[in-house]
Amino acid sequence: MAGNGEIKEDGGKGVKDMVMERIKSIKDIPPEENMLPGTPACAGCGGLLALRHCMKALGRKIVIVNAAGCFTLLTIYPYTPFKNSWLYTAMACAPAGAQGIRDALDILIKKGRLDPEEDLKVVVLTGDGSAYDMSLSSTSGAINRNLDFYYICYDNESYGNTGVQWSGATPFASKTGTTPPGRICPIGSELAKKDLFAIWNSHKPPYLATISPAHPVDLINKFKKAEQYKGPKLFIALSPCPPGWGIDSSYTVKLAKLAVDTGVWALKEAVFGVVTHTVVPKRFKQVEEYLQVQGRFAHLFKPVRQEAALNKIQEEVNEYWNRHKLLL
Amino acid sequence: MYRLRFHGRGGQGARVASKVLGTAAFLDGYYAQDFPLYGAERRGAPVAASTRISEDPIMERGVISAPDIVIVMDETLLQDPLTMPVSGIKQGGIVLINTAHSPEEAKVEYKITAQVLTLDITKIGLDMLGTPILSTLAGGVAARIVGLSEDSLRDAVKKILSEIITDKRLLDKNVAAALYCFNAITPAKIELKTTDTIKKKSTVISVPFEPATVSSPAINATGNTPLRMTGNWRVFRPDWNYDSCTRCMICVARCPDGCILVNEDGYPYTDYDNCKGCLICVEECPTNSLGKVREVHTKKVIGK
Ligand SMILES: Cc1ncc(C[n+]2csc(CCOP(=O)(O)OP(=O)(O)O)c2C)c(N)n1
Ligand code: SF4
Ligand SMILES: [Mg+2]
Repeated sequence: MAGNGEIKEDGGKGVKDMVMERIKSIKDIPPEENMLPGTPACAGCGGLLALRHCMKALGRKIVIVNAAGCFTLLTIYPYTPFKNSWLYTAMACAPAGAQGIRDALDILIKKGRLDPEEDLKVVVLTGDGSAYDMSLSSTSGAINRNLDFYYICYDNESYGNTGVQWSGATPFASKTGTTPPGRICPIGSELAKKDLFAIWNSHKPPYLATISPAHPVDLINKFKKAEQYKGPKLFIALSPCPPGWGIDSSYTVKLAKLAVDTGVWALKEAVFGVVTHTVVPKRFKQVEEYLQVQGRFAHLFKPVRQEAALNKIQEEVNEYWNRHKLLL
Repeated sequence: MYRLRFHGRGGQGARVASKVLGTAAFLDGYYAQDFPLYGAERRGAPVAASTRISEDPIMERGVISAPDIVIVMDETLLQDPLTMPVSGIKQGGIVLINTAHSPEEAKVEYKITAQVLTLDITKIGLDMLGTPILSTLAGGVAARIVGLSEDSLRDAVKKILSEIITDKRLLDKNVAAALYCFNAITPAKIELKTTDTIKKKSTVISVPFEPATVSSPAINATGNTPLRMTGNWRVFRPDWNYDSCTRCMICVARCPDGCILVNEDGYPYTDYDNCKGCLICVEECPTNSLGKVREVHTKKVIGK
């Protein structure tokens, strides 16, 4: 990474010739809003906050390809919050939809019917249910074909739109509509959250990053850095969801910060498969601080503390940071 | 038969209210049906639920298009063109509105021809439960309007809530609040001017198959969601105190909806037409320049 506020990468194939300004603080965030208010997203939706910043970074010359989920309701007839075009696809095939649009744009340019200056970025937008589960194979195909597109996954760790059911992104011990803690299984979900970053990164895409709605400067800089690459540019945003996670709507940002500060959500990027952590807490907070404020983990504390489950969660976080030699 | 429709916003408890009412009616020895109208489940989005109560077995199914009673749990829905809570209300039927206004004011304000009753259920919810979740309270009001017994209401609230929550104290508070609401209104008599008969003609519309260019809705506008005025969702409003504001822009960066704008002098202010009242700004402001106050919506506040 070059100094004096610029990023210049020449990491091999597919690098576009571009130099981008990094932003340094919240005050540098572009003021233009490319997604207007008035959407049906819940008050305090963490995913919406992440998307708002992604939209600022992407600009208006984009097409969104949106798989079914909470955010398909942002654009609901006859209203749209976007200034750009938008297409709705089934849950499993947003990356395939993106391929179609990319091809169409390329053909139009080739035939001289679209000025290359008017070209659009193709942006897939899906929840975790799509990204981690249903569209895993179509995304794998698109990355493998080196499709030139963006993918934004807002990860609220459940199938939120249908009333919070378990997804492959649901963390261990979380309560969801389909993993209620009870007599037989008092810890809620017994399965671990899939590591989508690692799954996607095994394809060695040009750019891949995790982002957080509470870290907009890191988020915007990642988009700026990604811009120089032709090919898949993928983003996963851990997105606190007030109804799904059992938190007050005012607490979304606090929780997104806690996820990073406790080490539960590692902010990182990977360029052609090489991983770098972008935000490493100086002192990690205890994971319990993150868990105990959420209704979906309340059963781990009341009526009795489920010590074994709590230890397991903390140990897994420690193991991650030890493995990356970043736990001080 | 009584046909009731509850209109609320996701998270307010319209579905549970219809269930409390249906269960109370059943316990009183009536036949009952209760069901939500499923849309996308989301906090703040308009939701509806229905209850049918009858002395005879109920053969009718589906959405209630001509209700005898409508319970409007969120006043601002009365202005939402996509919801239209009082549509189909029978002449002489009753509309109960959760509002701080008197029935006369509300009747004029919202141009309602049916009988209107009002009660500030949100205030009761905040006072007695500490939250604006109004399911048991609206259920209590409705139970009184249709003339059910206090005992059945109490048992119904206990039965339904014990399936949802484990906190015994919260359950007791809900029972108390439901009974308070039950006794807080003087129900009007339902005076239907027409005899209610089930329509003979089928109301099912058959939709012919059309090519995608015709059948898939396309929006040819951009950025028009502000017309929806999500400011109507607020229970509390963020309230500014500029004495301590340092123009740090943190609130601007934290608002999910982009509802904090900046004036010429660099001071942030709220777009109250659209602010949903999540209060992240209040939580995040490092200088405590934001507080919260209870929102009272009237038609005039929004979009003045
Ligand atoms: C193949 C398929 N199965 C089920 C559904 C119903 N459905 C619509 S949205 C949704 C939830 C999607 O979850 P996620 O992708 O995590 O997005 P979120 O709702 O959490 O934003 C489901 C299951 C569907 N549209 N398509
Ligand atoms: S359910 Fe969660 S992710 Fe979906 S709109 Fe609401 S807060 Fe956002
Ligand atoms: Mg989801």
